Amino acid sequence: MTEPKVRIRDLYKIFGAHDKDVLQHVKAGMGKEELLVEHKHVLGLQDINVDMQPGEITVVMGLSGSGKSTLIRHLNRLIEPTAGEIFVDGEDVMKLSEAGLRSLRQERMSMVFQKFALLPHRTVQQNAAMSLRIRGRDETEQANEARKWLDRVGLGGYENHYPNQLSGGMQQRVGIARALTANTDIMLMDEAFSALDPLIRTDMQDLLLELQTELHKSIVFITHDLDEALKLADHLVILKDGAVVQQGEPQGILLNPSDPYIEDFVSDINRARVLRVKSVMTALEENSGIFAKTKYSGDVKATDNLESLIARSGGDTGHIYRVVEGDKPIGQIDMRDLVKALVPRVSSTGGNVVK
Amino acid sequence: MAFYDGIFKGLGLEGWCGGGASNAPVSMADLLAQSNGDDAASGPAFPFPSLDNLNESCASIVQSRDVTKGIEDGFLAAKPALKTVLDPITQPLSWLLDGALYAFETIPWFIMIPALILLAYWASRSVAVTVFVAFSILALAFVDHYDVAMQTLAIIFVCTGISVALGVPIGIAMSKNDTLQRMVVPILDLLQTLPTFVYLIPLIFLFSVTESKLYGIAIILYAIVPVIRLTDLGIRLVDQDVVEAANAFGMNGRQKLMGVELPLALPNIMAGINQTIMMSLAMVVIASLVSAPGLGVNVLRGIRNLELGVGIVAGIGIVLLAVILDRTSKAALDRVDMARKQR
Repeated sequence: MTEPKVRIRDLYKIFGAHDKDVLQHVKAGMGKEELLVEHKHVLGLQDINVDMQPGEITVVMGLSGSGKSTLIRHLNRLIEPTAGEIFVDGEDVMKLSEAGLRSLRQERMSMVFQKFALLPHRTVQQNAAMSLRIRGRDETEQANEARKWLDRVGLGGYENHYPNQLSGGMQQRVGIARALTANTDIMLMDEAFSALDPLIRTDMQDLLLELQTELHKSIVFITHDLDEALKLADHLVILKDGAVVQQGEPQGILLNPSDPYIEDFVSDINRARVLRVKSVMTALEENSGIFAKTKYSGDVKATDNLESLIARSGGDTGHIYRVVEGDKPIGQIDMRDLVKALVPRVSSTGGNVVK
Repeated sequence: MAFYDGIFKGLGLEGWCGGGASNAPVSMADLLAQSNGDDAASGPAFPFPSLDNLNESCASIVQSRDVTKGIEDGFLAAKPALKTVLDPITQPLSWLLDGALYAFETIPWFIMIPALILLAYWASRSVAVTVFVAFSILALAFVDHYDVAMQTLAIIFVCTGISVALGVPIGIAMSKNDTLQRMVVPILDLLQTLPTFVYLIPLIFLFSVTESKLYGIAIILYAIVPVIRLTDLGIRLVDQDVVEAANAFGMNGRQKLMGVELPLALPNIMAGINQTIMMSLAMVVIASLVSAPGLGVNVLRGIRNLELGVGIVAGIGIVLLAVILDRTSKAALDRVDMARKQR
């Protein structure tokens, strides 16, 4: 396993004047409500351990108040933790001096905000070049880099507009261009698409995935929207009341929720669109001989979603398809298994339990 | 026999009081009472234990008049020390005021009036405002109030300039430091509510009435308040999301102040400057009591000699100046605001 880009260990955050003193109560198992009533302190995060791999999109998902925005602000220490360790490229962020922290924020992490947070008195191009101006690069480099990335996010020609002349979606493109111009390995995206309307949000998600296939940044993405989380995530972390309830590969979480809370969560989504053939298929050895014996209705790609396969089969559950990755057959998928996978497991509320 | 004699006797303080016989000077009220044949004892049955009433029973307790005298003596005792410190510090203010007055008076009108009109256009970028400014100045000059109007304008320019130069940094410091804000706000409240004549009194003691810094300080003390308040407020009201973004991209304190906080607080700061101009204009009239030249002198003449016409013309002149200064600075403020609200 490669060295994680960001490693968070035993992170606690308590909001209040005497956070260090009440930490022992939390470690002893005191809950959020109790802490608020007895000590007038708010529990932000408890016992967070997360590894974020280089080149992956790590999505942190949770409802309002679950501490996800607090968590992302710990990575560049916009919020100071009560206890715990944060490593970026193996370096302890908590031990950085003020200048070291500034250089971390300038050169290794950039951030995209829910409310865009652009400078209203600067043009789009000046906003995009912000990080380079902070670092004191010369004007032509600022202009060239900013233009390059504005073009890349589809804002060529808007360089001399002011942010409030643009729509929300375009403003967030400027926000993304600003983060890309900083040319950092890590991008922090705090509910970056939550303020946008659904169609534009889909566009922006596609843009992000497209950029990611090209740039391979380590992205930490915060969202409260499960569909968005499943679409973007390589690694999904689900937070509830400041603690991690489950983390792992998103398809795995969807098929094997570990907690009633997550089961409720995943029961509402369109599984056919989110689940991919690879997560549902029966894996087979290439030379197992089964491939030769079975009669397949056709080949499907491992990365296809179930929706496309249902459309292809015309709703007939009698088919069995061969699954290929590249040119290599890696397994088979029976339409009957596919249909079973579409039914969510609902154990908390009773009802039909499909294991 | 005074009312409180018994108490001092009971406490055994007769010796300290000096036998109870008051040798303090007789007050005018007592004198009147005596001449009317009354006795002090025939006052209220139970007088409030004020300093004067206690003094009648015990000579060692001071009278109220000694309190005011004490303040005066204390101030006069501190005056030489204060003067040695304040005089050199404030001297440049005198030079500035004298210089500005000299400049505004000696530059001939045919250069000065176009220059002012151009300045108004540069600040407001509004033809209507500029035409109004031109009309007002020409009207004032037409009734031979050009010189006094220029004197008033010179004083306002200098005092507003210094108020902004001092007030904006103070406001910035206040916005960064809650303790400082808690300390400064009561002082600002005091400056704003204290009747303006009250702080003229100690100033007259400190500086001679012939020095221009006397009225300069009075005007600045009065007019600096809004620019401090609104700078502090403006910076505190800057969108915290944008400030967070500035932090997240690693701006240092200076970059954040110059690149984010001041530009975003500019509309509020400009509103403060507009108020500062208005308040220094209000004060320049009162300052004519302590030899400030300008339109105020004519107003004062109108009051003293009951010259109704002189007073009213000067009053209208002040109103005209107030309106052109207000409209020009407001137009400048709107222009700054528009630059970011254009849609």
